[in-house]
Formats: sequence, structure tokens, C-alpha cells
Amino acid sequence: MSEEEQNKASFFDTAKSILYGLAGHDMSRYALKTRGSMEHLFILITMGDLLGIPILPPYYSLRILPYVVPQISTWKRRMLRERDLTDALA
Amino acid sequence: MSLKHTFEENPERRYIMFGGKGGLGKTTFSAASAYWLAKQGYRVLVFSVDPQASLSDIFQQDIFGKGAVEIMPNLYAQEIDADQRIREYQAEIRQKILDMYGLDQVPEEIENYIQAAAAEPAMEESAIFDAVVDIVVSADYDYYIYDLVPLGHALYYLSMASVYDQWIDKITALRSEMEEYSQVAAVMQRKKESQEDAILRELQYIKERINKSSGILTDRQRTAFFFVVIPEEMAILDTKKAAGLFAKYDVPLSGYIVNRVIPESLAQEAIPDYLRHRLDMQKGHLATIERELGSEVLAYIPELERDITGLGMIEKMAYELFGG
Repeated sequence: MSEEEQNKASFFDTAKSILYGLAGHDMSRYALKTRGSMEHLFILITMGDLLGIPILPPYYSLRILPYVVPQISTWKRRMLRERDLTDALA
Repeated sequence: MSLKHTFEENPERRYIMFGGKGGLGKTTFSAASAYWLAKQGYRVLVFSVDPQASLSDIFQQDIFGKGAVEIMPNLYAQEIDADQRIREYQAEIRQKILDMYGLDQVPEEIENYIQAAAAEPAMEESAIFDAVVDIVVSADYDYYIYDLVPLGHALYYLSMASVYDQWIDKITALRSEMEEYSQVAAVMQRKKESQEDAILRELQYIKERINKSSGILTDRQRTAFFFVVIPEEMAILDTKKAAGLFAKYDVPLSGYIVNRVIPESLAQEAIPDYLRHRLDMQKGHLATIERELGSEVLAYIPELERDITGLGMIEKMAYELFGG
């Protein structure tokens, strides 16, 4: 690859990143945030008995447990915390 | 139509179940049918899905939690030890967590949850339900005879299947939607593909297991469900109610067997009034059974002179059920 071509390629890469920053970043952040909320909903309906709300038969919720171990503490915090004014800003 | 005929005319049948109130003779008929089929040269497994299993008692051999035990050539019996299965399952889950995250021990909060989940009352039923799938998918036998739990439990078992099924459909849909959002983010960030959703795969596995098990219970080609009834008012009423409920869940009812019929020939002999009254009462109830279930009754089994335990008595019972 000649120097000129390399410059061209890196120019396009930079342009793509700028475009992503302008248009795509917000959208992907929104998609991930929505997914995060759904993740919490999912844990609630499968692991509900952690909060004392049994929904899925425990035999099968145990099968899913290993996959949600990292999310459990943040999920519990989210489910059990009290709502206040600053939530509206989040 | 006799019981023997229903077997001869439906050679594609593989799953045989006896249902009815507790203590009417389901285990006895399961064992006797297994004995008869084994004698006909089929490989038969009779297994108990009852947490308080009694196959060990009838075969006079401790088979609890020992897998399929050979009772005689072609005849195998198995009692599922739900507790043991739950313990193994818990250990499996713990190991998976340790392996996935490279931990030395399971976090306390998670461990508490694993312990608590095992103590749930539905856990035992679910564990047995799951164990049955393992047994029947192995397809090692010509006939599988379910020594079913008393009616209430059996209905619970069936309704659980349909509830699970719908439930899993819903959470699978949620999970798929989540996957879509991940993909959107991945495309935006120009990643090749999002990580494969392992949970979705687990859910589909669970769904498959549940469908397999409930599919068998409602398979008209391969499953026969026989109701056991005795000539007593309460038993007849309960059985009719249960038969209606089972029909609602699409369980193929294949006929009734009337157990514990006091031989009418006794009336010719000098018997105490007590027994004579019972005989009269029985006559009335038999007439009810004849009128309401009539052609669906496959056999009337006399009250035998002693408990049915051991192969000798099982053979005698098989003779009563199927004729030679």
C-alpha cells in the first residue's frame, strides 16, 4: 500500500468515526440502555425469588443463574432503591 | 374389548400410564402390566414419578435411586430419587458459575439463592419431570410404564407443562428482542456481530425438554392412559371428575379398569351380614359403572386374597388383567 493510499484510508476511517460520533453514537447508546433495562426485566422474571417474587419454576431459573451472576448486584440495587427527583435526570 | 386387545391393536403404543385416586391399585397394575409385557418378549421399564414411590415394596427389592434395576429378564424398574437429583443439579450449577468466572467459591448471595431454590415445593416435581425426559429420550425400551402419582399431582404435572410452555415462549420473545437491540448497537459501532446469547440457547433447551415431556402425555398414537376405579361412590365420582379434567388437557383416555370387586359367588355361601351388605352396595355401584362407563371398562379385577407383593402375586394379577 502506497503512502497516499494509507493516508486516504486513515482519512476515511476518521471520517467514519466522526460520522458515528455525530449520528450513530447516541442511537447505539440508546439501544444499549434499552437493552440494559430489558436485561433487568428479564432477571426480575426469571430470578424474581431473589427479591421474594417467585415467577419461573426454580428448577429452570437455576439453569439461567450462572449467566446473570455479574448483573445480580446492580439489578438488586436498581429494583430495591427508592425513587427520587434526580431519577428524572438520569 | 379387553385390556389384552387394546395392546394387540395398538402396537405403536410405547407409553402406558395408570391414573386414579391414591391407593386404588395403580402401582399394582403398573407392575402387573410390566410383568405381562415382559413375558410377551418386550423390553419394559416401569418407573415411578411419585416422590413416595412404592415400586420397591411391590417388587420386594430396594430399587430407590439406583437407576433401572433388572427385576427379571426384560423387566426393569426404576424409582427416581428426586433429592439426589436436585443435589447433583445444584452442584452442577455451582461448578458452572466457578468455571465461567474463574472463582474459588460461589458468592454468598448466589449460594443462598441456590439453597433457597432447592427448598421450593415445586422443585421436587420439576426435578422428576426433568428426569423422566432423560429416561424416555434414551429409547432403550419397547414399553415405558409410568407409575403415576395420585390424580391431583398428575393434573399439576400436566398443567405445569402448559404453563411452563407459554411462560418460556414469553421470556424467549423478550430475550430475542434484547438480542435485536444488541445487534443495533453492534452495527452502529461497526462490530462484526454481537455475542451469541447463551441465555437464549438455555431457554430453548428448557422449552424443548418441557415440550418433550408434555408431548408424550398427550400423544394419541403412542400413549395410553388407563383410569383405575373401585366400585365405591366416592371413587366413581372422583374418577369421573378427573377424567373430565384430563380430557381438557388432551390426555388420551384409553379405558377404565375396575379394581377390588368382591367376587359375587360369595353370596351363595354362608357369609356374615356385614359382607352381604357390602356385596349389595357393590352391586349398585357396579351398575352405575356399567351404565356410565360401560364399553370403556376393559377389566373387572376381583379383590385378591392377600396383598400384591412379590413376583408370584404380580403374576397372578397379570393373569387377572390380561388373561393367560
